[in-house]
Amino acid sequence: MRGFLARLTRGDGADDLAQETFLKAWRSAGAWRGDGSYEGWLLRIAWRTFLSSRRGRREEPVAEIEDRPAPGHAPEARLDVERALGRLPARERAAALLCFGEGYSHAEAAAIMALPLGTVKSLAARAKAALGQALEEHR
Amino acid sequence: MSDELDRRLRTLLAPPERAPDEAFAARMTRLVMAEARLRAARRAAMTRLATVMAATASLILLFVLLARAAPGDSGSVVAPSSPAAAGLLLLALWAGVATAPVTMRRGH
Repeated sequence: MRGFLARLTRGDGADDLAQETFLKAWRSAGAWRGDGSYEGWLLRIAWRTFLSSRRGRREEPVAEIEDRPAPGHAPEARLDVERALGRLPARERAAALLCFGEGYSHAEAAAIMALPLGTVKSLAARAKAALGQALEEHR
Repeated sequence: MSDELDRRLRTLLAPPERAPDEAFAARMTRLVMAEARLRAARRAAMTRLATVMAATASLILLFVLLARAAPGDSGSVVAPSSPAAAGLLLLALWAGVATAPVTMRRGH
């Protein structure tokens, strides 16, 4: 969840949001019905917390991307993807992180983001196209 | 091609391995404990306030009933010079002091 927020916020106040998310989760622990994964429930709170923190704020410029290569892939490819991810609008970034990074299905991502399934599918498709283009440019 | 891209993106966007952050966990534990203490204190204060209010209401009712049982010469519900009136006055003073916010009592 902290990692998701760090990449979603591009490092801007991610720990504060994670802290707020954990506190909200602790306060509303009784509301968790156990009908999904606990991690998904936490991510839903994290997403809502992120949205309310960003309400009324403009998107910030892309922050420095952490230089940590993924195993089995060129570090440059990862950096290019991370940079392209940072340039995406928040909703596309979240859809990409949930569907590709965290391995959730479109339906699960839609539940986490509280959006219709079709919307999440198109957000993920747009993110995929942008990230794919970044990878093509890398080649 | 699309499957290949999906696979690449999954690998490239996989969350990096992180060592457990003990400092963050400790900070969260402290925060949650502080919040729990605050909640308990708030609950205790509310219970105390409810008890005080209930006791005050019962005493007021008692004084009113006593005054009605032996009405004074003035004909009002509580005669100004009766013990019930003195009791009500003292009760009102006590209630004013006891239920005033802490900041007011500190003079802020």
